[in-house]
Amino acid sequence: MTQQIIDALRQAWTTFLGDVAAFVPRVAAALSIVVAGWLIAAAARAAVRRVLGWVHVNRLAERSELAEMLRTAQLPSAEILASRVVFWLVWIGFLLAGVDALQFRSLEGIVVGFVQFVPRLFVAVAIVLVGVLVANFAWRATLLAAVNARLPSARLLAAGLRFVIVTTSVAIALEQIRVATAVVLTAFAIAFGAVMLGLAIAFGLGGRDVAKRLLEQQFTTRGPRDGDDMTHL
Amino acid sequence: MDARDSFLSDALLRELMAVGQVDVLVGVPTLDNAATVGGVVRAVQGAFARHFPRQRTLLFNSDGGSSDGTPEIVRSLGPADADTVLASHVLRTMHRISVPYHGLPGRATALRVVFAAADLLQARAVAVLDPDAQGVTPERIAALLTPAARERLDLIVPVYPRAPDDGLLVSQLVRPFVRAAYGYRLSEPLAVEFACSGKFAAHCGGLDAWDADVARDGVDLWLKTTGLAGDFRVAEVNLKRLETTTRSRPAVPDILAQVVGTLFGCLEAHADTWRGRAGSERLPTLGDAPAATPSAHAPEGRDASDALRRALRDLDPLLAKVLEPATRAALHQAAATQPLRFEDGLWVATVYEFAAGWHRRAMRRDHLIRALAPLYLCRAAAFLNELASLSSPAAGASRLETLGLEYERAKAGLVERWTHSE
Repeated sequence: MTQQIIDALRQAWTTFLGDVAAFVPRVAAALSIVVAGWLIAAAARAAVRRVLGWVHVNRLAERSELAEMLRTAQLPSAEILASRVVFWLVWIGFLLAGVDALQFRSLEGIVVGFVQFVPRLFVAVAIVLVGVLVANFAWRATLLAAVNARLPSARLLAAGLRFVIVTTSVAIALEQIRVATAVVLTAFAIAFGAVMLGLAIAFGLGGRDVAKRLLEQQFTTRGPRDGDDMTHL
Repeated sequence: MDARDSFLSDALLRELMAVGQVDVLVGVPTLDNAATVGGVVRAVQGAFARHFPRQRTLLFNSDGGSSDGTPEIVRSLGPADADTVLASHVLRTMHRISVPYHGLPGRATALRVVFAAADLLQARAVAVLDPDAQGVTPERIAALLTPAARERLDLIVPVYPRAPDDGLLVSQLVRPFVRAAYGYRLSEPLAVEFACSGKFAAHCGGLDAWDADVARDGVDLWLKTTGLAGDFRVAEVNLKRLETTTRSRPAVPDILAQVVGTLFGCLEAHADTWRGRAGSERLPTLGDAPAATPSAHAPEGRDASDALRRALRDLDPLLAKVLEPATRAALHQAAATQPLRFEDGLWVATVYEFAAGWHRRAMRRDHLIRALAPLYLCRAAAFLNELASLSSPAAGASRLETLGLEYERAKAGLVERWTHSE
């Protein structure tokens, strides 16, 4: 009996020590991957920042109003933000590779999942960025056109257009990264439909006279535009 | 290979070689001007016959693809149509070329071809006429051309008699801005008819800006400011203002985008020159001044206070990017006055800050200029109100002079902002 216990203990310790002996090199390998990954990520961050500096990304961001958007969100400049994103993506990739090197069965496939997720994330971020830029452009153009045409509620019109474009782009981005796809699509469809229906009812019933007047102004002989009674040139 | 070879067709080069050399070239850039071009061509032939009978002359029509038979009219009118007796006394051949131009459609390309032809033919004097003008006379063309042909002046720009309320964009912005920036009191920076020396035509023809926005959108203003910025002798000639055929009139924001965008573009193109100049000089003016035209507007009450308040409220996020806080505050104060009082100092500060904002690209440039449109309309309305309260046209002219001086006084601020944003 005693011998059996001793054999079992020996067997257990032998297995444990064997596992430890096998695990320690994997830990060392994982640590080396993480450290090397940090260095590579830092180098990538520096390289990205330098390249973006060469192409004057900050100036482009200022012109496209991306810079103002970042300031509003209390984020750093476009150049720094992009380099940080690259750093974290690269380092997280190496971190996951390090975890994978430990060969925990429960964590198997996480790296594969991450690698599959990153391109979708990039596409989603790009969709939101483009959506915000287009929304800002449309907002400004609409605002200026409406103010110069002396339309009532110019700000509301422009802000409404911006909201629709941003919301649409965010919904597309969320669908891209597959975050609660069904909920997002349903919520978006309901919200968008509700807004449009509300506007249609408000405009069709509450603002029937205004709509009539606007359509008459648009399609019948136009009266003098603003400044038409002055000679400018 | 010369750069101009690329936009001068082989057929045109052959025609130019057949002409050889000329002393005087009159360019008529056209696009669907059948209603008026006949009168212009007759006047040119009359001018050649009466005023330049011993000169080698060329009428050069650069057409943008007219579909109403404009080139055919230009080609079909013979010298006899101008003045049979005088035409028979002409000692040299009066050449005539009518060609479609190649390249980007627009007046800039048409003028570029005219200048290139003048350079190739070694013309001593070049005039560019408005094909839309009605009532062009040989004397008018001679008044433009003679200073370039005989007095060796490089750029001759017409001065039109204008009431103080006529051409508000010119009087409130373009003219005083050009005066302050370039240091010369040019009355009509946007005039589409002018004359120049062969030297000036060759200089402008060789510039790289022809395909740029500054030349494409406002070639006339660009040419005038190029003359003022360079080492050229510029003069003005008094001429009566002619009626032009009515074409669809663009909206004010579109006019501003074109004219003010070009003006700011000219500042950028000539930045090395204008920043060092202070004050302004009168330009030599030739000919007798015609009688002043009556006011274009009845003295009526208009109040733009409400319009200014709405513009400031709606455009606030955009104006915040362009205007200094002090200027915005002053605009809000002005909007509270009734009737609106839009002081010269405030208007000039607004325009200069828009120019600096345009230079540093505070936002898309066409958007920026469209944001100026409602402010300009309010200023114009306030100015018309002020004119209505003045006793005489002379007082109106004096009022415009005061505005010009204000532009000059505030120029240092523009230079500082402009330089700072580089």
